Amino acid sequence: MYACIHGDGARALGESFSPFVEMIDAQTAVFSITERQIKEIARDRASLLKKGTDRSVHCGDTLVEGDCGGSGDRVVSPLFRIAVAATIEAAVLAARHFEGVTILQPGEEDRVLGSLPVDALPPDPEIFETLDLWGIRSLSELARLPENGVAERLGPRGLWMQKLARGALDRPLKPVALETTYEEEIELDDPLEMLEPLLLLIGRFLHDLCARLDAQSLAAAALRFTFNGAERWLRLPFPTRDTKFLLKLIQHDFEAHPLSEPPAKIKLAIVPTEPRRVQHSLFTPSAPEPEKLELTLGKIRALVGKENVKIPELRNTYRPGWSISDARLAFRYFRPALPARVETEGGVPKHLTARVCRGNIVKIAGPWRSSGDWWTADWNRDEWDLSLADGALYRIYFDRKASGWFLEGNYD
Amino acid sequence: MLSALPIGWLDSPPPEYLPAAADCPRGRITEIVGPRSSGRTSFMHSILAASTQLGEFAVLIDTNNSFDSCSAAAAGVELSKMIWIRCGANVEHAMRSADLVLHSGGFGVVALDLAEAAESALNRIPQTTWFRWRRAVQATPTVLAVIANRPLTKSCSALLIEMRRRRAVFTGNLLRGAEYELAPRKPIGKERTALHCAAV
Repeated sequence: MYACIHGDGARALGESFSPFVEMIDAQTAVFSITERQIKEIARDRASLLKKGTDRSVHCGDTLVEGDCGGSGDRVVSPLFRIAVAATIEAAVLAARHFEGVTILQPGEEDRVLGSLPVDALPPDPEIFETLDLWGIRSLSELARLPENGVAERLGPRGLWMQKLARGALDRPLKPVALETTYEEEIELDDPLEMLEPLLLLIGRFLHDLCARLDAQSLAAAALRFTFNGAERWLRLPFPTRDTKFLLKLIQHDFEAHPLSEPPAKIKLAIVPTEPRRVQHSLFTPSAPEPEKLELTLGKIRALVGKENVKIPELRNTYRPGWSISDARLAFRYFRPALPARVETEGGVPKHLTARVCRGNIVKIAGPWRSSGDWWTADWNRDEWDLSLADGALYRIYFDRKASGWFLEGNYD
Repeated sequence: MLSALPIGWLDSPPPEYLPAAADCPRGRITEIVGPRSSGRTSFMHSILAASTQLGEFAVLIDTNNSFDSCSAAAAGVELSKMIWIRCGANVEHAMRSADLVLHSGGFGVVALDLAEAAESALNRIPQTTWFRWRRAVQATPTVLAVIANRPLTKSCSALLIEMRRRRAVFTGNLLRGAEYELAPRKPIGKERTALHCAAV
């Protein structure tokens, strides 16, 4: 059975009955209730309502007064309306529209709720207009309509509303998640000079914090370390609560970016998020396991540098090497471009000398002038595509800002 | 038995140039060798494109930071499914990265670009590395593609393709494309084919 409380302070009153309360709106709270609690409500409504809260309440025709939130003032709160029913939606309907305490026994929902007008249902102007045209004014009239006919004429929404009118719409309770902080901290007598004891300590923190995340069906989105007051973030590529994986990731991160000073005050906070849900399929191509991949990339980042491990992308620009192009002929860059010595005749290159190649130019195409980004690091150059005597294809350019020739790369 | 990764042509080829020779066997080492401007990189792009278009993930270990994402995207590589590791001309870093990636597993293609790498560094690569990698990719769907100026893997590769320049196509004041020749050296008996790449 479910109980619904409607009125100001409904949540506080609901939480005096159950720690798992669903808030339908600011004034309506629903929670699961036991048979014994129902009997208590039926026996002594006012005293039970007073048990869970110090607020003054009206319960039906009964007025109960008390201290308000420890302020000492004696106030009279707005009216509470309470309903108990076998389904959540029936309890909500009854609590919102009937005064005092209403207890709906299983099977009598449609009889009790039937007296309510159709307007008591969640607003849906289109359906309300149709029901009005049909002469349907109360929930009992709506409940008596044949289901097939309602489904044909009003669709799934109409059928849903009819179930609601009968008090037969059942769904699980969605209680408000408890706000929990996921933090651990310690202050040591002596700072930790070595990484291993620090990881041991962090491992202990992670074990506790991940157990708490697990209990709440949550996962970590990021880790925030505070060492001697200085913050340090570790953002995770995907939500996880795998302690071993997190510890490995932290180890790689600390090895790649050592701490500036040995920590004596250590604090670890986890930013919680919804866990990752993956739907596997027989026909999905194989992909690396995310945990394994992240650890591998962490090791590679420590080896070659964080900025050298990336997913390439094209940008909306004409800057050479960044733009979207149709040229399928593969190009290889010399990064950075190699200075070159070019002999020209009538402005056309005839001979190329660079660190990696030398020779007479047998075929050449160009120049193609391009420039841009004058507001930042701009480029302004004349490009040439050329073929040397040995058949190799290169791209050279004359940098108009630096007044020099450069070998940009080769076609391959 | 793992099927080979079919490699498509980059440009509409004449019908006699069908690329039966260029299918890369999975779970094996494929080696693509040739001098500068011989089409090694175009062929590597076509392998990456074939894999990423199947929805697989690929890794490019770029020893000399020479990868051009524009021409790769134009060749059909889905860049969002590719990890690019730049090694700053450090062959040891490239080999270590490849080792880590291969043992991580799950990739369709691992391309190790050793073209233009320093010869002295290449000579220091122990032959046992290739044997270890041959074992590492066995019974996996991964194609390990090694791109180099000369054959490096010796007996460890299942497919060795030697690339050669055929001709560059200049029309007027425009480089229109290039033609390359694929000469399969291993396994013996495969026919030579041609690779056409358009520059514009």
